[in-house]
Amino acid sequence: MTKQLITLNVNGERHEVAIEPHWTLLETVRNHLRLTGSKEGCGTGDCGACSMLVDGRLLTSCLMLGAQADGCQITTVEGLTQNGTLHLVQQAFIEKGGVQCGFCTPGMIMAAKNLLDSNPTPGIDDIREGLAGNLCRCTGYAKIYDSVLAAAEMMKARAER
Amino acid sequence: MAQETITREQEREREYRNVGKPVQRPDGAGKVTGETVYADDIQLPRMLHAKMLGSPYAHARITAIDTVAARQHPGVEAVITAADLPDYKLNASNRRGIIFPQDEVLFHGQPVAAVLASDPHVAEEALGLINVSYEALAPVVDPIEAMKEDSPLVRSALHDVDRSEERGHVTVDVAEKEQSDKPSNIASDMNFKRGDIEAGFAEADCIIEGTWRSGMVHQSYIEPHSTIADYEASGELTVWTSTQAPFYIRDELAQTLGIPENRIRVIATEVGGGFGGKIYLTELLVAALAMVVRRPVKYIMSRREDMLAATPAPFAQVEMKTGMKRDGTLTAVQAKLVYDSGAFPGAPMLPGCLLAGGYYKCDNLDIKGYEVLTNKVSVGALRAPGAHNATFAIESHMDMMAKQLGLDPLEVRLKNAVEEGDPLPSGQPYPRIGLKECLEAIGNSEVWKRRADSARSLDTSGRAGQDASRRRGIALAAGGWMGGLQPASAICVLNSDGTVNVTVGSADITGTNTSFQQIAAEVLNVPLDMVSVTTGDTKTAPYAGMSAGSKTTYTVGRAVKLAAEDMRRQMLEIAARRFEAKPEDLEVADGVIRLNGAEEKNLTFARLGKLSTNFAAPLPAILGSGAITARKMAPGFTVQAADVEVDTETGEVTVLGFALAQDCGFAINPMSVEGQMQGGASQGIGIALSEEMLYDSEGRLLNANLLDYRLPTTRDLPPIEAIIVEVPSEEGPYGARIVGEPSIVAGLAAVGNAVAEATGARVYEGPITPERVLRALGKI
Repeated sequence: MTKQLITLNVNGERHEVAIEPHWTLLETVRNHLRLTGSKEGCGTGDCGACSMLVDGRLLTSCLMLGAQADGCQITTVEGLTQNGTLHLVQQAFIEKGGVQCGFCTPGMIMAAKNLLDSNPTPGIDDIREGLAGNLCRCTGYAKIYDSVLAAAEMMKARAER
Repeated sequence: MAQETITREQEREREYRNVGKPVQRPDGAGKVTGETVYADDIQLPRMLHAKMLGSPYAHARITAIDTVAARQHPGVEAVITAADLPDYKLNASNRRGIIFPQDEVLFHGQPVAAVLASDPHVAEEALGLINVSYEALAPVVDPIEAMKEDSPLVRSALHDVDRSEERGHVTVDVAEKEQSDKPSNIASDMNFKRGDIEAGFAEADCIIEGTWRSGMVHQSYIEPHSTIADYEASGELTVWTSTQAPFYIRDELAQTLGIPENRIRVIATEVGGGFGGKIYLTELLVAALAMVVRRPVKYIMSRREDMLAATPAPFAQVEMKTGMKRDGTLTAVQAKLVYDSGAFPGAPMLPGCLLAGGYYKCDNLDIKGYEVLTNKVSVGALRAPGAHNATFAIESHMDMMAKQLGLDPLEVRLKNAVEEGDPLPSGQPYPRIGLKECLEAIGNSEVWKRRADSARSLDTSGRAGQDASRRRGIALAAGGWMGGLQPASAICVLNSDGTVNVTVGSADITGTNTSFQQIAAEVLNVPLDMVSVTTGDTKTAPYAGMSAGSKTTYTVGRAVKLAAEDMRRQMLEIAARRFEAKPEDLEVADGVIRLNGAEEKNLTFARLGKLSTNFAAPLPAILGSGAITARKMAPGFTVQAADVEVDTETGEVTVLGFALAQDCGFAINPMSVEGQMQGGASQGIGIALSEEMLYDSEGRLLNANLLDYRLPTTRDLPPIEAIIVEVPSEEGPYGARIVGEPSIVAGLAAVGNAVAEATGARVYEGPITPERVLRALGKI
């Protein structure tokens, strides 16, 4: 099949990738850029484990073709850690027990970051709405709610410093 | 909740430095950054991707398979059918004992052929070029119909079925029943009897009868089954797989493929959720493919394949009749439990029968169990397999009898609850258990207190500002689980810098390695970060049973404790010799061994490490080992309270609050124990309200995706209140007992009771969907 050259800006790095037209953004990033943090749990956009930010929008990357992301700015879970320092959302998930098996975690953290970017002081109901596209089978979400609340507090404290 | 944790922490502060305290998981950092490697993240040189062709029929005979076009498809490396497989020991009674069916297909989605290619898309395309000729056979879909004498048979030659594997799962002595020679779809049956059931009903003031059905559900781990196998020229087989049971897989592969166990390396990769569903499934298939092509082969199930052809949890029907005296004494429990096993034996009939009569003291029992074959995917374990089905029946009956007699549902349960020494339906006595303590604890939950408050304010018919069509109900249910038992071992070594490595063979699916770190650090009286725990593979790790049956901390934790104690003893003996003192006069703290009363006489772990590892060092390397066998159960009980609102116009049930109290013996890591409790409870709520695999009359699965098979989302789940109860087990480390499974058991019953409380109508079938609620209300 004829390959197509596209440009992906992933986590601040520019990549030129020759892709086949049917490759999803998720498989392009996982298999060809070898950024395997984003996970495929369903391939049909139902579980959210592949969530990425594409030009600032939270998307399930298993439902987007690689070619559609040509020229886009993409952030994956690998892009949240800056110079080895965890993002506060990542830190909060560890501290509050929001991580169990870890498979939903990269997508969940992207959704939590997306929520906190638009609403820095969410209540429980906002969190339940903001994470509704991401399935977790291990936690019952309770400690994920705690993690997002804690991340909001930590971000507020940092902003005030 | 937070208050309670602090109180417990304060108590523990005096007693222990590491165990009993909430600890962050060391594997958290890798998981939040995406660094953690799961099976699908592994790419090996020359690796091929496998795609499977599944049967479109639930029951059919394969008459021919034409693979010519698929083999010629550009990029295809191999097309493999039953005829192309290496020799293996076929076991027709076990799903994993048949790689591809040779003639008879037994369930929709059963794999019949594989395509291998470097490009997974190419393999997928070529599947469509395989031409399988099927002769369709009558599928048997309904287990109740399947039990009838004149039912068509699910499969031929059923009387040849080898039942050795099922017997392996039976943890109590059960009299062997003679099986009839007449072919039947009933794979096995059993009966627990105690006292005189008719006398029990005769003395009852209240008798309730009901037929309770609970749907087939899927574990729905977010990571699908994922396996890579490589068969090297040396004859060594390596398998990377997302499993809870590396040693079990090794043993099964060795037996089936005729390879010695010491030439098989099973590497349990990080498990992206298992819940009993990731024991042993695709490993033999992928190993066999790798042996054919002599290249590494990766097979990642699609979500659809995982729903169609993994090992979900069974549908069950429980017919129950119970009797109670006016004073609340339970006098009789009669039940007939039918589990739909799918196309192979292995349904959890035994635990279902044990639990149906196992929560309460009752002199008269008659509990029958049947395991029935159908042309559906064969079932496996899901967190306390079989338990929620039986619990739905008995716990609904307890509420119904209490209501009819005007008794308090909590008091009635407290009056009858089993205690240490009471017999299980099998006759075996319970060891120390904490059901009563859980009942007392749930009374203090926020959810249950709201019930008392709402009773006072007479506001059970709706929240303020809501219309009267919305009804609110709060109710509870108990549940329990016996847990599994298997031997375990661990090793503990001193490094040259004084830090400690612990190696175990158990897959860490729940944070158990964090608990082991706490245990070893407690024994050695060092800060947590001086200990690191690794799960080895089956060639490097000491043996451990499968991480299933809630037993990992209970069994491997004991082995870790012994290994650390062994290492500590060795270090003390060395120090005692050097100080010319007795080991008992020494104390160990923070990596330093000191002679009491002589501060200058001390030896650090780091110094010991160097003395036992350097060139020409005077001491042998320091290695502690621990090995145990576990024969005594440490059952875990739970009591769960659900606060629901029912929209009587739409039938929709909303969970407003959910609390569970669970006896975990001793919470080595309360944060992870709470996480297990909340996670299991959420799965119980899913079973209660939305999860059900739906088959049509031809035995085809209708909802093989996560949109139509609906897991609880954040919108469905309020924060779940977890109350840890600690009634120490006799043998577990620091009193710990089983934790992982009990939390799933009571959700369906608790929600069912709450819906009845809210509406006055009983729903006898789970999940309690809007349609079933409206039917119960007589609206449709």
